Amino acid sequence: MTATMQPESEAAEAPRRGGRTPVAGQKTRPRGRGLEFGHWWWALPGIALVFAIHYVATGIGGFFAFTNWTGIGAFKITGWANFEAIFKDPTKLGALSNTLFLAFGSVLLGNIAGLLIALGLNRVLKTRYILRTLFFMPVVLSPLATAYIWKYIFDFDGPLNAFLTAIGAGDQTKPWLADPQWAIWTVLVVLVWSSTGFAMVIFMAGLAGVPAEVEEAAAIDGANLWQRFRNVTLPAIRPAVAIATTLGIVQGLRVFDPIMALTAGGPAGATETLATQVYKQAFALGNFGGGAALALVLAAIILIFAVIQQRLTRSNPED
Amino acid sequence: MGRITSSDAWLSQTPVKLMSGIGKTYVLFLHISCILVSDRGHGSRIFSTMKSERLDMTQHRRSTGLKVIGVLAVPTIAALALTGCSSSAGSTSSSGGSKEFSLSFATSNTIESPFKVLAENYMKSHSDVKITFNPQPNDSYDQTLRTQLQAGNASDVVVTSPGSGTGRSILPLAEAGFLEPLDNAAKELLPEGSASTFGSDGKVYGQATEITVAALVANETAAQAAGGFPADFSSLQQQCKDLEPSGKSLFALAGAAPPNTGLMAMSLAASRVYAEDPKWNDKRAATETTFAASDGWKSALEAVNTLKDAGCFQKGAAGGGFDAITKGLASGTSLSGFIPAPSWKQLESAGGGSKFAVRPLPAESSSKSYVFASANYAFSINAASKNKDAAKAFLDWAAEPEQTKAFAEIDGALPVTGLDKYDFEGSAYKNVGDLIKDGKYGPLPNIQWPNSAVYDALATGVQGIITGQKSPDQVLQAMDAAWGQ
Repeated sequence: MTATMQPESEAAEAPRRGGRTPVAGQKTRPRGRGLEFGHWWWALPGIALVFAIHYVATGIGGFFAFTNWTGIGAFKITGWANFEAIFKDPTKLGALSNTLFLAFGSVLLGNIAGLLIALGLNRVLKTRYILRTLFFMPVVLSPLATAYIWKYIFDFDGPLNAFLTAIGAGDQTKPWLADPQWAIWTVLVVLVWSSTGFAMVIFMAGLAGVPAEVEEAAAIDGANLWQRFRNVTLPAIRPAVAIATTLGIVQGLRVFDPIMALTAGGPAGATETLATQVYKQAFALGNFGGGAALALVLAAIILIFAVIQQRLTRSNPED
Repeated sequence: MGRITSSDAWLSQTPVKLMSGIGKTYVLFLHISCILVSDRGHGSRIFSTMKSERLDMTQHRRSTGLKVIGVLAVPTIAALALTGCSSSAGSTSSSGGSKEFSLSFATSNTIESPFKVLAENYMKSHSDVKITFNPQPNDSYDQTLRTQLQAGNASDVVVTSPGSGTGRSILPLAEAGFLEPLDNAAKELLPEGSASTFGSDGKVYGQATEITVAALVANETAAQAAGGFPADFSSLQQQCKDLEPSGKSLFALAGAAPPNTGLMAMSLAASRVYAEDPKWNDKRAATETTFAASDGWKSALEAVNTLKDAGCFQKGAAGGGFDAITKGLASGTSLSGFIPAPSWKQLESAGGGSKFAVRPLPAESSSKSYVFASANYAFSINAASKNKDAAKAFLDWAAEPEQTKAFAEIDGALPVTGLDKYDFEGSAYKNVGDLIKDGKYGPLPNIQWPNSAVYDALATGVQGIITGQKSPDQVLQAMDAAWGQ
């Protein structure tokens, strides 16, 4: 990830550097001050590509939200009809509530678990480096591949039901991913499992910045473990909390492949989310306009929650 | 799909300077790499303090405006990328003589595609012809085909489906001008009553390749051991109850794979709706009737509950995938499954020594027996093809009686011509032979439905009936709503 981001950040920095020393740069160049490098227009190819690939494509996708295009052939501009259809359709509203449930559920549980693990593995434990790697593993592994492994675990003939039968709880066996009550919780377990490692690493990064001296001083002043966490550690890692929850919510709202692999939105729409609906409408059911409209709605929802979340967890200036 | 969801790709797509959140992530990732890779303990306090300062900087010094733009840009791009066009990966063999062309078809398993075998036979008998194969995985075939047709780089000959129910369906593709009208050879192969699904205004855009029966595929060996296959619907329920204690089931159902639940519901509707009224779809299209108002459809979906209550499905059927059918039928723990008839051949060749055959779903009375048999796949020619002559020569050759017969044999299906002289007795189709000879068959209903949402509503609805989430009436209403979309 760093490798792909670095060039862009440099490219974006170029205008400022170029703008700062326009005159001096031109005068001194013949004398060979080699490192006076870069002009803002050098970034133009990159900017043009980003514009063409992201913003133009995104804009065209947004435009189709107002048409009845089926993905092929001619289309008509239908105004807000696609959006009206979305808010009248109980399936879409169910998908919306599932999306929010999964996003907030996975952020809450994933962050609590991540924070606990990060605190536990922060200092004392000898095996912490191995454990950190193990806990981070789910983030690195392909979500699609791990989802299929989970699907096997939750299968009716899978290990979970075999285990339940073995311990004498055979009456609790069920097709977990096809049970209308349990399917969404099963999906939540998988999402929490995969998001915990990411939260853990962010919290660990935050905890590394908490000076041990301050904690020691608090301990000498008689603060107990909870007070030290509440009044010293937690304020110090507030930026990490902000990042972990923001990224978690954005990720949780647009999660797609684990759900597609685990349940494909089933049973009968019980685990349908906005992202799986976008895919189904646009690509499986040939309702490209409806899919694009749903994607816009999803974007708006992510935007709203990201802004709210940013405001809530913003550090106080005096911190 | 991967492009949308992989967080790496998602992050790399965004202009960094705008993204306050991403900026923070970047700093954090430097940190993460330290934590995961190096064993630095608490030695380099300076390092970590420096990092946390940078963290704070990104937190404080960015203006709110930039933050909002950043927050706004990420989700917009991420969500709208979902609707972006996927890249095309096809090729046209525009160069070379007229003896060269390309062929696109869908592949769904490791067994060699019958389309490929047919084309290879063509190359063998026509040594001057060169065919380029463009196989696509079945689950992405529709989308790839549409993208390639729009980009102008689809194969010269493409495999399509009649009707308008799927992404590869002939009618919408022809209407958008992507398919070349075909000549008499294709018209002669039109199965009876299917003309409206192969084109409009007297033009035909697809050449039928085979007749696919959609009914039950039964493990005959296992059925013999269980005392034979039931003859009508009430003895079927009894047999379900008899089989259940032994851990076996009459049907293997992929409850979590909607196409399978949909096929089961249509099979139940065969004797209840289409045996009495083969033109029911036309009436629905003319809004003379609706699904919800049809007693036949209602009884078909209520029969799903009857089958469930009688224990006709394997345990955990609601969560089963297609592997549950393959496993159940091959091992004989399930006697039959609602799968396309040509699968009998693949199941038999998968080993296990069991015999497989095609059977109609037992009806309430034998006089009501009815099966679906229609041409579900067709050859079409890309309207933008530069090798139309070579493509047409291939289609003419494929329309010859020997070739249609050979193709059906390769795939385990029925030939598109010469059905009246077909030897049903000696084939896997002997149980449906009389129905087909008596004309008690019709096209798969969803081929004639106006869009794929109707079938989707049926298929996911039946899953809901099995799990108890939906009633037959709700499902039928959803199908009516989807019809009008």
